[in-house]
Amino acid sequence: MAMGRLGGWAVRVGVVAVFLTAQPPNRLTAQDSQFGIRGLGTPGKSESVRARTTGGAFAPFDAFSPLTDAVLADVRRMSASVTSGASWRSVDAGGLQSSLRGTRFPAMVITGPVTRRIVVGGGFTTYLDRSFGVVIQDTIDLRGVQQPITDEITSDGAISDLRIAVAARLHNRLALGLGLHRLTGSTRVVATRSFTDSSYRTTTARDEVAYGGLGGSASLLFDVTSDLRVAGWFRSDSKLRADVGGNTVAENDLPLMYGAGVQWRAGAQASVAGTASWRNWGAVQASVNSHDTFNWSFGAEIGSPGSPFRLGVRGGQLPFGVGKAPTEVGYSAGVGRQFSGGRGRLDIGLERLQRSGLGLTERVWTVLVGLTVRP
Amino acid sequence: MRRLVWLVLLAVAWACTENATSPAVCPNFCPGDSIAIRDTILTSIIDRDSSFRGYVPSYGAEAMTAADVPGVIDSRAFFTTDSVFTRVAPKAGDTTTVPINVDSSRVRFIIGRRPKNTTNLQLRLFRLPVTADSTSDFASLDPDFTATPVASLNVTDLLALPAITDSQTIFRWDSIWGTQSTDSIRVDSAGHVLQMHINPSDTTLAVYFKLDTLQGPFSVADTGRSAWGVRVAADSFASVILGASQLGGSIPLIRWYFHYTIPDTVSATPDSVVMATRVPSLRFHNFVFNPPTAPLDSNLAVGGVPSTRALLRVALPAFLHDSIDVVRATLVLVPVNAVPGAPSDSFQILARAIAADLGAKSPLSQNSALSGTTTVHTGSADTLRIELTTMVRAWSLDTTLVTAFIMGQSPEATSYTEIRFYSSRAPAFRPALHVTYVKRFRFGEL
Repeated sequence: MAMGRLGGWAVRVGVVAVFLTAQPPNRLTAQDSQFGIRGLGTPGKSESVRARTTGGAFAPFDAFSPLTDAVLADVRRMSASVTSGASWRSVDAGGLQSSLRGTRFPAMVITGPVTRRIVVGGGFTTYLDRSFGVVIQDTIDLRGVQQPITDEITSDGAISDLRIAVAARLHNRLALGLGLHRLTGSTRVVATRSFTDSSYRTTTARDEVAYGGLGGSASLLFDVTSDLRVAGWFRSDSKLRADVGGNTVAENDLPLMYGAGVQWRAGAQASVAGTASWRNWGAVQASVNSHDTFNWSFGAEIGSPGSPFRLGVRGGQLPFGVGKAPTEVGYSAGVGRQFSGGRGRLDIGLERLQRSGLGLTERVWTVLVGLTVRP
Repeated sequence: MRRLVWLVLLAVAWACTENATSPAVCPNFCPGDSIAIRDTILTSIIDRDSSFRGYVPSYGAEAMTAADVPGVIDSRAFFTTDSVFTRVAPKAGDTTTVPINVDSSRVRFIIGRRPKNTTNLQLRLFRLPVTADSTSDFASLDPDFTATPVASLNVTDLLALPAITDSQTIFRWDSIWGTQSTDSIRVDSAGHVLQMHINPSDTTLAVYFKLDTLQGPFSVADTGRSAWGVRVAADSFASVILGASQLGGSIPLIRWYFHYTIPDTVSATPDSVVMATRVPSLRFHNFVFNPPTAPLDSNLAVGGVPSTRALLRVALPAFLHDSIDVVRATLVLVPVNAVPGAPSDSFQILARAIAADLGAKSPLSQNSALSGTTTVHTGSADTLRIELTTMVRAWSLDTTLVTAFIMGQSPEATSYTEIRFYSSRAPAFRPALHVTYVKRFRFGEL
C-alpha cells in the first residue's frame, strides 16, 4: 500500500531531482572546507545517500557509490542514481565565526549489465572540492599613508572524477572490478582588492584554472558466506595538472588510496558494515602541510529493503592542515523508500560533521537527497 | 514520509543560494598567494615634452579677467556692441520713421568669480572707442582706462545692503534681462543693481551700472555702437572673472532705454510717447593685461593668453602592459615657481589623452574619462599632482592607444595666469609618473 501511495508523487519528486541535477559542472562538488584552502582542496565523498547515511560504511557494497568498481557486479538491470546535498557550515577560526551554505551534487552513477557476468558503469563524483571564498581586511602602507584594504579571493569549482568501470563476476562468490578515471574540472577564481581611499581603483583579477589527470582503480568483492562480504580496493592517480590560459602552472602528485570493508547481513531486515581506508596525501610535495589520512566508518541498515532506516558514524583525518592532520567525526542517519514497484528509490539523510584542526573548527549539517531509478 | 520529502526538497532549494565566503584567518587558512601591490615612481618615462601657444585667444575665451594686483598684474576687460537703429517706424506698415531719444542705459556684467575675503571691491566703468578690437592692447587702451570712470559700482557695499526678495520684482528683473533665476536684488543710491543667489551659493553675481545720458551718451554718429571697459579695485587682491559666454548667458551687454513720439496727424490731441528698450548684440569682447605673458622657454607652460598647452609623451614600460593592474597613477610636476596673483585667481589645469600624436595639433581624445584635473593655487610652489589612473589603465590594457597627453588650463585663455613646470630637460625636477599597481595573482598554485 505504501508503494501505491508513493507512486503518485514520485514522478514529481523525480522531476525536481532531475532539475536539481541540471546544474553547471562546477557545482558537481562535495562538501567544501576551509582546511582545503591551503591544499589541493577538500576530498569528496564517493558515496551515495544510502552509503553516506551509514557513515560511508556501505559504500564498498553499494553499486551507486563510486568508491569501488567490483560492486557493480551486483547490478541486474540498467540503473542510475544521483546524489545531492545542501550544507550549512559554521566556521570558528580562533573566535572569528561565520556561517556558510551551499548545495552540491557530489555523485552520479549509471550502470547496467552487458552480459550475465559483466556489468559496466560510469558516472562522476567529486575528487577535490575547490570552492571557497575568503575576505581579508588589512591596512597597508601606500605612498607613506596607511590605507585600509579589503581583499576577497574566491574560487568556485571542483575537480571531478569521471569514471568508466567494468565489473566481472569471476565466481559465484568473487567479483572483480576495474575502473578508469579521468580527473577533470575547473575553478573560476577571482581576486579583488578594494581600497577605502577612492583614489585607488578596485582591482579584480579573474581567471579559470583547468585541472586534468588520469587514474585507475581495482577492487575485489568476496562473499565469505551468504551473509558476510568483504571488499578491498586500490586506486592510483597520475599527477594533477593545473592549467591557466593553456599554460601549466602546477603539477601535483596525488595519493594512492587503498581500503577494505566488511558487511554482515544480520537477518532479512538488518545489516551492518564497516570500512577503513588510507591515502598517502603526504606525497603532495607542493604543500608542506599535507598529511597521510586514515578514515573509518561504521553503519547499519535496519528494516525492510523497501523502506529501511540507516545510521552511521565515521571518523578520520583531512589531508591538509597546519601542524597535525585535522580530524573529522561525523554522524548520519536517513531513510529510504522504494516506489513504482521497486523501479525507483528515494533516499533522504541527515549528516552532522565536525572537523577540528589547529586554529579552526567546522561544524556542518548536511541534508542529503538521493534518487535511484531502474527504468 | 511525503511531508518529510517536501521539507527536505525545500531545504535543498533554499540552500541553493550559495555563500562560501568567510573572513579569512591568514596565513593558515588563506590561499598560498596574496594580492601583491607595488608602488613606484617612474622618473624617466616622460620625455619629448613641449609647450605650444596660440590655441585660444583671449577674445575667444568664455570669460574675462579684470584684476589689479600691484606688482603682479593689471588686467582690464572690455566689450563692444553692434549698431542700434536710431530711428523707428512708429506704426506698422508706415514707411515714416521717427528718431529715438535715449533716456538712460544699463551696462551688465556677470561676475563669475571674485575674492570673498576682500573689502571695498569695486568695478569701474570706462567708455572706450568703438574701434577697439583684437589689435587693441594694453598700451593702446591705457589712455581710455586711465580716464575718469563713467561710473563706479561698489560690490562690497551692494552686498551689505538689505536684499529685495519680493518674488514678483525678482521674476520681472530676471525675465527682462534673461538671467538665470535669482532670489534677491540689491539697489544702491545711484541705482546700480546687484542680482544674486543667496542660496545655495553667492558665487555668481550680476551687476548693473545705471547710466544717465551724460554718463552713457548714445552716439548717433556711431549708429549706436558703443564700447565699454571695466577695471577692478579693492583694498587687496582685486580680481574678478567676468562672464563672456554666449551659451552660458553671461556675456556683458548694454540696454538702451529710449522713447519716441508718434506724431498725431488726425486730430489736435497731443502726440503720444512710446517708451522702449533695445539691447544691441555683442560685437567683441576681450581683456588686456600688463605685463604680458612671458615667451616660452625650455620649461613646460600651461595657461596664459593666448592659451598655452603642454604635450607630454610617455614611454610606458613593458611591465605596465603585462600582468599588472594599475590601481593608481599620479602625474608629478614640479613648478618652476609659484604662480603670482590674487588667491581667487587659482585655476584648474586639465590633462587629456590625445587621439593621435601630431605634435602641437594633436587631436584630443573624445573619451572625457581619459583625463585628470587639479587646481593650481596662486602663490604656491608646491609640487603638483594630477591623478591619471583611468588614462594609464587604458594605456596598460590597450596597446594601440597613444601614450601621450596634453595639459591645458580649464577654461582656457580666461586669465593671465600661467604655470610653468620643469620639463624632461631638467633631470632633477622632470615630470614623473607615480604608479601603484597590483601584480597578477598566481592562480592555480599552492
